[in-house]
Amino acid sequence: MYKLLSLTLIFFALYGLRDASSSEHPVLTMATTTSTDNTGLLDYLVTRFRSDTGIELRWVAVGTGKALMLGRNCDVDVLMVHDPEAEEEFMKRGFGFERKPFMYNEFVLIGPRNDPAGIRGMSVNEAMKAIAKWGAIFVSRGDESGTHKREMSLWRAAGLSVPGREPWYIETGQGMRNTIQIAEELGAYTLADRGTYVQYEADNHGNPPLVVLVDGGSTLRNQYSVIVVNPRRCKDVQLGLALRFMRWLLSSDTQRLIAGYKILGNQLFIPNAREGE
Amino acid sequence: MKQTVLYKIVHLRHSYRTGFSLEIPHLTISKSSSLGIVGPNGSGKSTLLRLLAFLQKADSGKIYFDGSWREWGDPGCRLKVTLLCQEPYLLRRSVFNNVSYGLKVRGEKRNLTGRVHNAMRLVGISPEKFSHRRWFELSRGEAQRVALASRLVIDPQVLLLDEPTANIDRKSSLMIRKAIEKVRESFHTTVVITSHDPVWLHDIADEILRMHDGRIAGSGTDNIIEGPWVPDHDGLWTKVLPDGQKIRAMKPPLERAPGVLSSTNIMISTRKPVEISAQNVLSGVVRQIIPVADSERMQLEVHVGGVPFSCSVTRYAVRALDLLPGKEVWVIFKASSVQWQ
Amino acid sequence: MGYIGEGILKALKLLLSGDPETYSAILTTLKVSSLSISTSLIMGIPPGFVLGYYDFPGRKQLRAFVDTLLALPTVVVGLFVYALISKRGPLGNLGLLFTIPGIAVAQTILILPIVVSLTATAVSQLDMRFKDTVLTLGAGKRKVALSAIFESRYGVGAAAISAYSRAISEVGASMMIGGNIKWHTRTITTAIALETGKGDFGMGIALGIVLLLFAFIVNWVVQLLKRKKV
Repeated sequence: MYKLLSLTLIFFALYGLRDASSSEHPVLTMATTTSTDNTGLLDYLVTRFRSDTGIELRWVAVGTGKALMLGRNCDVDVLMVHDPEAEEEFMKRGFGFERKPFMYNEFVLIGPRNDPAGIRGMSVNEAMKAIAKWGAIFVSRGDESGTHKREMSLWRAAGLSVPGREPWYIETGQGMRNTIQIAEELGAYTLADRGTYVQYEADNHGNPPLVVLVDGGSTLRNQYSVIVVNPRRCKDVQLGLALRFMRWLLSSDTQRLIAGYKILGNQLFIPNAREGE
Repeated sequence: MKQTVLYKIVHLRHSYRTGFSLEIPHLTISKSSSLGIVGPNGSGKSTLLRLLAFLQKADSGKIYFDGSWREWGDPGCRLKVTLLCQEPYLLRRSVFNNVSYGLKVRGEKRNLTGRVHNAMRLVGISPEKFSHRRWFELSRGEAQRVALASRLVIDPQVLLLDEPTANIDRKSSLMIRKAIEKVRESFHTTVVITSHDPVWLHDIADEILRMHDGRIAGSGTDNIIEGPWVPDHDGLWTKVLPDGQKIRAMKPPLERAPGVLSSTNIMISTRKPVEISAQNVLSGVVRQIIPVADSERMQLEVHVGGVPFSCSVTRYAVRALDLLPGKEVWVIFKASSVQWQ
Repeated sequence: MGYIGEGILKALKLLLSGDPETYSAILTTLKVSSLSISTSLIMGIPPGFVLGYYDFPGRKQLRAFVDTLLALPTVVVGLFVYALISKRGPLGNLGLLFTIPGIAVAQTILILPIVVSLTATAVSQLDMRFKDTVLTLGAGKRKVALSAIFESRYGVGAAAISAYSRAISEVGASMMIGGNIKWHTRTITTAIALETGKGDFGMGIALGIVLLLFAFIVNWVVQLLKRKKV
């Protein structure tokens, strides 16, 4: 009996060790944000990518800040994030080799159906002011992510200071999907990217407790870019694979794929790669 | 038969932090002999056995064993001497694996199962029924027998047994004794046994030593009379027995010193002597009559005021006085017969 | 009751239908935990034995130190290991980040104190007469030590079970070091964290039930071992 147990243990242990070495396909490691991952787009794209190029894409979904850190630490080969300000800083400081925007969607303000602060249909600025005035619970990402930074800029644009210590302002420090979940539990408002929201909607069979109340259109554009980590800083970066991924994302076929990604009949992302750059 | 000396102990001393100390100036044990050691708890029997088993290093003194004077750590010794402790202790394994341990450790794999089974049968434990039993699935007596078997199986030159039958059921006690006798007979194993029970010991041992307070206090037939002693008016000292009777002796070196009274210095009478020079005339009851092998004499155990006295009488006297257990007798001895160490 | 009932139903569905994501998480957990328990037992039993069996100056303090390590928070370990195996860290070129062996490293650090401490306890609780018994049966110093480990095997086994339980229920370090990559480093616990964070309590509970089943099986194996004639 002891023997059987030890053998089983050793079997799985060796099996686990085997995983450290690369698989049959070359592996590209990517850091992306939780919101991107939450939409399921990557699961949708990864099989196509493998059959088109033979490369296996593996990604970790973390906050934007952490994704950029992983890029700085050379722990990943490529980044897919949506925080243009931070990205530009990243490139300026020489951490990235190349950066290409490739798709976008919008942020939306979501909240409970009964809309206690009555922001439905308002402009973004009016809505923020109303929420602050009403003292309605607002849940923030609070994690320096792209979404979080955009949210903070919205407060400022409305002429308000970032709520911070207000009792109705909750900072979760977590990913988008988790934050939506918390907002749902609290019956609160929050800023979400449309992609994650639609996924949330689908998970609730099209009838979620939180609904879109303010659609800012182009004022709340959420731009996604892909960044290849700088091989001069990071010797082990798979430059070739990363560039192929970038080019694949920007190719018209893939751009069409992205446009075709729908949940509940809604298109989640609008491809906007500028060819030839 | 020539008696070869197996053990020689010279000036052996060992103390514990509790204050107890063992002190044996001289002791010889002959090969193939059977030595019994009697004594109360705390008299040092177990310590002596542990030192003979080379499980502990004595504070000072020398031990000669099997042909040479031994230094501590001498590897050969522990392989030839084995000790069975008072409380049965088994390793956390099956009976079979307990008994075979000594053989495995010596790398003696040849006919392992056969030898183990033989040892088990020797102590009356059926190999078929008991081999697979686990260490906690045995009665106390069975456990002690298994422990004994594990020591017998390695054919030791010396078998040391510390109260092997204390608190053990009768059947086990009997089987243990039979096993000891068998190995003595077949292998001429040297045996040293300690016990509380002098009767049992008499049957199995050639010679009996008595220990008291870390020292050898005469042979087994001596009586030890503990203190405290109180000075009497006539220069003698008195020890009061539980029933009020008094034992009288010469001045002891210390108030609490134990006196040694040889059993041959005691006389027995069935009638109270009237005028007699001996200062000790005590009333008691015969408890046991123990024949002594190859001798005209018999050991009488008489309880005086609840305290056992060992008295030596001839068989003739036993018959003549019609001595039987339960008979009231008078125990007589001189004050000077109580000797001090 | 709604969540839990829903969860149980979903769990049955996932397990019986052979849902690939669920089974991938289970397999990953098996791989990681097997690796970490094997390593920690090999690395931890000898020092645990030494700590419990021999007496040496500073033993008490060393023991106390190991016992404080028992309370290592998992996220702290995760952080520390990340700093070690990140490409920027000293062990960066081993390529352990986001891999199963990487998670195993973190888990091993976490459970090593359990193995050392509980082994030391098991060995130190050996009856004094054990040593006398094996010595008088002829065991030499080395054999005495080996027999002592065998004699305390139930205590050591308990240490192993305790360590294993900690390993399979660990989330923080596994998340940080493994990255929760689907099909590759997503364990049962990180999957639960993901699913419950998404609001999919049904799936979370389903996986939680699987984890409990795991624990029951481990315990059952222990009982089997105990009953086996040794």
